[in-house]
Amino acid sequence: MSYPKWIDKLPSEHKPMPILSFPSAPLMGVSVYALTHDANIQANGIVRVAQETNAAAAVTMMDLSLEAEAFGCTLHTSENEVPTVVGALVTDEDEADELEIPQVGDARTGLYIEAAKKAKSRITDRPVLAGVIGPFSLAGRLMDVTEALANCICDPDFVHAVMRKTTPFLIEYAKAYKAAGLDGIVMAEPLSGLLSPALEEEFSAPYCKELIDAVQDDSFAVIYHNCGPNTPKMTDSLSSLGASAYHFGDAVQLEEILDKMPSDRVVMGNISPAKQFLGGTPDSMAQAVKELLEKCAGHKNFLLSSGCDIPPKSSWDNIRAFFRASEEFYAE
Amino acid sequence: MGICDTISEKVQGGRAKEVVALINQALEEGIAPDTILTEGLITGMNIIGQKFKNNEVFVPEILIAARAMNKGLQTLKPLLAKEGIEPIGKAVICTVKGDMHDIGKNLVKIMIEGQGIECIDLGVDVEPARVVEAVRESGAQIVCLSALLTTTMYGQKDVIDALKEAGLRDKVKVMVGGAPVTQAFADEIGADCYTLDAASAAQAARKLLGK
Repeated sequence: MSYPKWIDKLPSEHKPMPILSFPSAPLMGVSVYALTHDANIQANGIVRVAQETNAAAAVTMMDLSLEAEAFGCTLHTSENEVPTVVGALVTDEDEADELEIPQVGDARTGLYIEAAKKAKSRITDRPVLAGVIGPFSLAGRLMDVTEALANCICDPDFVHAVMRKTTPFLIEYAKAYKAAGLDGIVMAEPLSGLLSPALEEEFSAPYCKELIDAVQDDSFAVIYHNCGPNTPKMTDSLSSLGASAYHFGDAVQLEEILDKMPSDRVVMGNISPAKQFLGGTPDSMAQAVKELLEKCAGHKNFLLSSGCDIPPKSSWDNIRAFFRASEEFYAE
Repeated sequence: MGICDTISEKVQGGRAKEVVALINQALEEGIAPDTILTEGLITGMNIIGQKFKNNEVFVPEILIAARAMNKGLQTLKPLLAKEGIEPIGKAVICTVKGDMHDIGKNLVKIMIEGQGIECIDLGVDVEPARVVEAVRESGAQIVCLSALLTTTMYGQKDVIDALKEAGLRDKVKVMVGGAPVTQAFADEIGADCYTLDAASAAQAARKLLGK
């Protein structure tokens, strides 16, 4: 399975690649609501983050309500938080079978593609990647997360019926970003990180692989993100997906993941968004980065990143400290 | 293997219908409801709760075990009430105002109920005043607050302030948790306890009740 080889060079360039987009809101003096509902503001946000940082790649908004909204889910929105899905759209296999697959462009998906395309035309010094939800995580939003998890055991046919709707949509959605000229997607599949390895192999892996096989090539990357706690037990399955690179969260010890994942794929992570970017200080951030790099920088395929999407209200002092600490470590 | 051991196994396996059938059989055999609760249902949840803590089983397995336990509890509740058997304590649990996420709350509720603590689940997006009312009405000794968003986490402080204003703060222990919540944040807002995960929350709740 081919993938863009620029990814393999990233660890040696020593530039971190955090999932950093929503903190552009306070930087620009706009609300998160405006950022998630206006393509121009969103594009400006992505560009602004690129101007403010030395990140290895730009990542667009990781809004995990977006695709569910296109299917028809109800959202809870607020001024300064990313929208959240409420309720369940489908409650049994029959409803899942009857569920209509939306068109790319429905709800806000068109807006996000437009914003990404605009950002890509203005960012010329680094790759631009789109944030896209993974197929099982999307199924969780359509079914209600608790029901999705329980039904993996109680009603697996129901879950598979939903997966047969989420996966084709996400393939077309990813293709739309490819057509827009983006360099790839970061596919967020955190819900599968709560499953057992066996259930991940049944309900997430085959669908993720289907998506990766459909869109990834030597010009378009799929970076697999999973911040769930059980990923250390899933490394064989995740490796077999053939993603361009892998991104893990702060619920795991990254050095353990690095020992288990193939050394010929980049593995990224995992400074805590909540503890450090949001709740930390520049000093605690510097310490956390130093400790992580001391443990992981010896792996040639390691790339420093955040553990997940950085919250909108995170301090830019902490964000700058993150980059500074990385620079200082590699300068020594 | 005694029937209570079998009930425990079926709870662990999430076999709700079999749990109910076995409970009815146990009652017919003259086993006391309290014994069935403790040695069947709670033992089963404790075992699988420990396995969950040890990463031997995962969220789906816990969810279906909880459903099996709750089905069993529904069968036993009228009999337990008749005999004056009380839970070891009561907890009011919710996700705070403005926050619609419930998976963390649901897991904590499962694990706390598995300890024999009655949970009054107020759901999501809950106003502080509702928490105060629930504490007043139920006499709960514990309040468990979940927040998954950075913009809603201070809702946990709002609940603590509302409890103070209502003169109830010293009557309850407040536990907080959720993705953006940390020990430092819990200390800042004056919570009594912060836990990282649902299994720890259950053990902490028991400790706070002095059990």
